[in-house]
Amino acid sequence: MDEVIQINGLTKDYGDGRGVFDIDLSVRQGEVFGLAGINGSGKTTIIRHLMGFLKPDKGSTSILKKDSLKYAAELKRSIGYIPGEIAFPDIHSGMDFFKLQAEYLGIRDMSHVKALSKMFNLDANAKLKRMSKGMKQKTAIVAAFMADADILLLDEATTGLDPLMQSVFTDLIKEEKRRGKTIFMSSHMFAEMESTCDRVAFLKNGKIIHVVDMKTIRGNEKVKEYKIEFNRESDYEEFLTCAFDITRRQDEYRQVTIHIPDTDIDRLFGCLSTMNVRFISHHPYTLEACFKEIYNNTEAA
Amino acid sequence: MISKTLMKQTIKANITLWAIMTLVQSLCLALMAGIGQPVALTGVAFYNMLPGILSGIYIIVTSNKLLAAQVDKGTMAYVLSTPIKRSKVAITQMIYMIGSLFAMFAICAATHIVATVFASGSISAGDVGTIIKLNLGLFALGISFSGICFLASGFFNLSKHAIALGGGLVGTFLLLPIISMFGEHFAFLGKLTPVALYDINSIMAGTGNFIWECMILAGIGTVTYLIGTVSFVKKDLPL
Repeated sequence: MDEVIQINGLTKDYGDGRGVFDIDLSVRQGEVFGLAGINGSGKTTIIRHLMGFLKPDKGSTSILKKDSLKYAAELKRSIGYIPGEIAFPDIHSGMDFFKLQAEYLGIRDMSHVKALSKMFNLDANAKLKRMSKGMKQKTAIVAAFMADADILLLDEATTGLDPLMQSVFTDLIKEEKRRGKTIFMSSHMFAEMESTCDRVAFLKNGKIIHVVDMKTIRGNEKVKEYKIEFNRESDYEEFLTCAFDITRRQDEYRQVTIHIPDTDIDRLFGCLSTMNVRFISHHPYTLEACFKEIYNNTEAA
Repeated sequence: MISKTLMKQTIKANITLWAIMTLVQSLCLALMAGIGQPVALTGVAFYNMLPGILSGIYIIVTSNKLLAAQVDKGTMAYVLSTPIKRSKVAITQMIYMIGSLFAMFAICAATHIVATVFASGSISAGDVGTIIKLNLGLFALGISFSGICFLASGFFNLSKHAIALGGGLVGTFLLLPIISMFGEHFAFLGKLTPVALYDINSIMAGTGNFIWECMILAGIGTVTYLIGTVSFVKKDLPL
């Protein structure tokens, strides 16, 4: 397939265990790829390498089969970027800033900027210095998408946005994906990645501990988790004796949480049919749950 | 070779300080010519002190803003997220710096000549030559100072480090000749700095020494600008 972003054995050691180590990743044309990890896990470092701002200690990164350090300037024609830390140049308003960027990029038509500003409900004529965190973030988003670039590198693009705007952003990502854009984003908002990403890589202490295919998360998992509460103590006791994979017991509430493969679901209902059940609820396996599980089970060397 | 958009931005961001420094020097020169100070005396009375300090301040502040401050604040991310090479950024900023210094001393020289003509009705060819040489020397000194500051600005990612090195060196170079005036014991200090290569005595006496001295100053500038540009192109940027 067409690999748009390729990272081979990337290592950047800042000492004291900080940095990124032996990162291997590839992102296909049209894919939305997420990087998840706590602060300081190396998300920004990876994106800065892709932007050609940092020089790898070992390994390489390339975009469209071109080394991202060597061809940094040329590749920017195809890249839209939201930096992790946003600092605007010393100019008056958001619109002045967009005009300046347009001039650098050689864009004449500002209609896309206007459409994006409208989408995010951004007053582009407001003074840059007076802008709130959220408004600055919106301005950065518009700047990154204004060139309609084919590849988007987004470093924590939704920090500071209110939930309403976060969902506008999610819609934008989905729309850009539909139009065939390749998107590489870092975030610690699991919900946002869950609804947009095709694959998500988990980073811990600068290493990739797992790459999860979102298809296995979005309700397609073969083993599901259910929580059941019983009205009668006797039913509860009896249920415990049935051979189910019980992951959690809460005796005081007569509640159990079980993991059960789809193939076994009939046995569960057979067992429950004679019992007085207060409720049964399905706990969807979320990206967050998956992350926590893998994160805690990984000894980062 | 250079980015017009960046050049416009750079001019906008730095022109105020440039204008103030140029204006103060021009006014002083106009005043001196106005009160009838002969050109032959302005070398010692004016050129050996004030222009170096004023242009020095301009150089220290502006050089830092050209590269280091923009990396420090993070605004450089927006310049470099467009298809501009780092080398183009550095060269554009370098040309602004050198160009602005040239303009500063060209304006000073022109003011001095015009004011002298106004005050005394005419000016000798020798005086015109002296004024041009005095300002050319200042321009050469400016190139070496700005090169040192540009090197610091290109090398460091933090403003405070760039100012500490560039500003520290240039400030020291400017202070040493002043200290050397306090007595025989300190006289040698004045010779230790590039300021000594701005040889007003040679210019006034009409000897050729100042030519190679200017060339050394320009040489210092060339080397430091080159190192500054290369470091900026090669280094890791936290953007």
